[in-house]
Amino acid sequence: MPPTPHTDTDEPNRAADATDAAPADRVTDEDPVDSAALLGSGLQLGYGEGVVVDCEDIVVPEGEVTALVGPNGSGKSTLLKGFSAELDPTGGTVLLDGADVQTREPKQLARELGLLAQENDAPGGLTVGDLVSHGRYPHRGFLDPLDSDDEAHVDRAIDLAGVDHLRDTPLSELSGGQKQLAFVAMALAQDTDVLLLDEPTTYLDLHHQLRVMEVVRTLNEDRDVTVCVVLHDLQQAARFADYLVALDDGQVYDWGPPEDVVTETLLADVFEVDAAVTYDGEPRIVPRRPLD
Amino acid sequence: MSRQFRVRDVLLPNLDGALVLTMVASTAAVLLGALVQVRYGAYAMPFETVWRAMFDRAVWTNPQVLATILLGDGLAHTLGVYSDLSVLSDATAVVWTLRLPRVAVAAFVGMNLAVAGAIFQAITRNELASPYILGVSSGAGFAVVVTIVLSLGTYFLPLAAAVGGTGAFLLVYAVAWRGGTTPVRLVLGGVVVGTIFDSLQTGLFYFIDSNGAMRTAVSWLAGSLTGVGWMDVRLVVLPTLLVVPAALVAARQLDVLLLGERRARSLGMRVETMRFGLSALAILATAAAVSVAGLVGFVGLVVPHAVRTAVGSDYRKLLTGCLFAGPALVVVADVVARLGLGGIQVPVGVVTGLVGGPYFLLLLRRTESFNEF
Repeated sequence: MPPTPHTDTDEPNRAADATDAAPADRVTDEDPVDSAALLGSGLQLGYGEGVVVDCEDIVVPEGEVTALVGPNGSGKSTLLKGFSAELDPTGGTVLLDGADVQTREPKQLARELGLLAQENDAPGGLTVGDLVSHGRYPHRGFLDPLDSDDEAHVDRAIDLAGVDHLRDTPLSELSGGQKQLAFVAMALAQDTDVLLLDEPTTYLDLHHQLRVMEVVRTLNEDRDVTVCVVLHDLQQAARFADYLVALDDGQVYDWGPPEDVVTETLLADVFEVDAAVTYDGEPRIVPRRPLD
Repeated sequence: MSRQFRVRDVLLPNLDGALVLTMVASTAAVLLGALVQVRYGAYAMPFETVWRAMFDRAVWTNPQVLATILLGDGLAHTLGVYSDLSVLSDATAVVWTLRLPRVAVAAFVGMNLAVAGAIFQAITRNELASPYILGVSSGAGFAVVVTIVLSLGTYFLPLAAAVGGTGAFLLVYAVAWRGGTTPVRLVLGGVVVGTIFDSLQTGLFYFIDSNGAMRTAVSWLAGSLTGVGWMDVRLVVLPTLLVVPAALVAARQLDVLLLGERRARSLGMRVETMRFGLSALAILATAAAVSVAGLVGFVGLVVPHAVRTAVGSDYRKLLTGCLFAGPALVVVADVVARLGLGGIQVPVGVVTGLVGGPYFLLLLRRTESFNEF
């Protein structure tokens, strides 16, 4: 029985769930459903016939960094596609600020919810500055030029992502990490309250992995942006996120703060790895061997 | 914010050295080509006579004469501005009614094909896409051959070409659609529809019984400007007036589309609607060109590619460059097609093909990787 976030409803089955969800109760005194930036309920997502994600309730709390973790094929990216309305759920709903993401105008949605996809192909001749200014797309009408407000947001995004010195550099001359920071800046220029990131650190060197995560952290702390990030690296997720959602085979296995979620049992059950997990302020995961 | 300021923001690119150079060089090529085209031919005249004919006061100081030349007898009659053109000298008549319109049509054809090619290259995210990639050429070619076989009259050809091309494009969309499209599905749809129409067209050739009709068909399929007049200019100018500003306004959408479909969607673009709208715009441009000149090949492929190498992939700049470089290629190619072989005129499409081939050979030799858009 995967623990689901505590809910204060009169429905008996919900109440029963909440009793099981002991870890979630310790997390916060607030009702996580009330403070949810994103709430998926009864969500079924899939491609064609196959169902990839099938989970009862999933919450991305407002103003926090939530990481989706899980092995390959556990449905992390699919869930993100459901959140961003890229994928039409076959069942259930995704509520953003209390309203269904599917019913929003695309531009309206893009003003509230940003998505940094894994796709990184853009014309090589494009400069970082031009790329970032495309982040203002949802704020501009068909004929609107870039106004001073847009310029200010672009400047701020470039500054926050630390790519100021690369502003006039074409993308083809950037390293993978610099490129990713440029795309992060573009997503920042979108100026949304919620930001979804799909494995933003995969394929990056250590330096740029940390840079990207630092930018995300700053964004969350200084501007109160709700972040939901798919991370491959469990240790990284545990370090950076306030909450972890562990997915296993399209279902929520566990939900809560990292120290509650990242356990040796989780690693064995979900990741099929025999590992030692210790905490000294930060989680430390030492994988030993794969389990059959 | 003044209105003028807005127009500039919406339509005009940031001029930089490369773009200005492209524009200046292209304009020079067009003017030079035009001069040669007007000067030489069966009715030869010295440059001095050409000059005098071009700036003939009988034309410039007499609006009715100018209107009759540009609008044609019929339309001028209707509008009540008709004037008898037999008062003009031979040289003026040749320059104004035969040679200048051919240059003008060449320029418009080049402009439309280059813009259409640039748009299709963004839509399919393939820098080697041409305006004919979504089946337009096959549909138009088929319709043209049908018109010829049924002897519906040559004045039907432009309409047939436009209708056939648009029909094929819609068919490609229908074939490629499965809860949405992707660039790859569209291109494959183009291959499917193209193959079928090409076969039908080849089959129909055997039903053409006269040599003259055969020649008309071949010159249409190869893309020829022989015998075009001001009527063709009028035919092509209207869609062009719509296509050019629309394409420049849509340049930003093309830029965003190039960032990838997911990214465009996450920025709030209705990708499917936008892609269809932009395709339709490019089809309009292509149909305009095809209806007056037939299937001139390679222009829509080479020009955007070459301009991109010079000015970069910013679409406002790229399209502006295409507006100049497209006419340059077709006008100059038509000079060669008309005058290059002495007495015999070849279709201009033959010449653009002969230019396009080596261009890509050069590219093949020089470029290490083709991943960069």
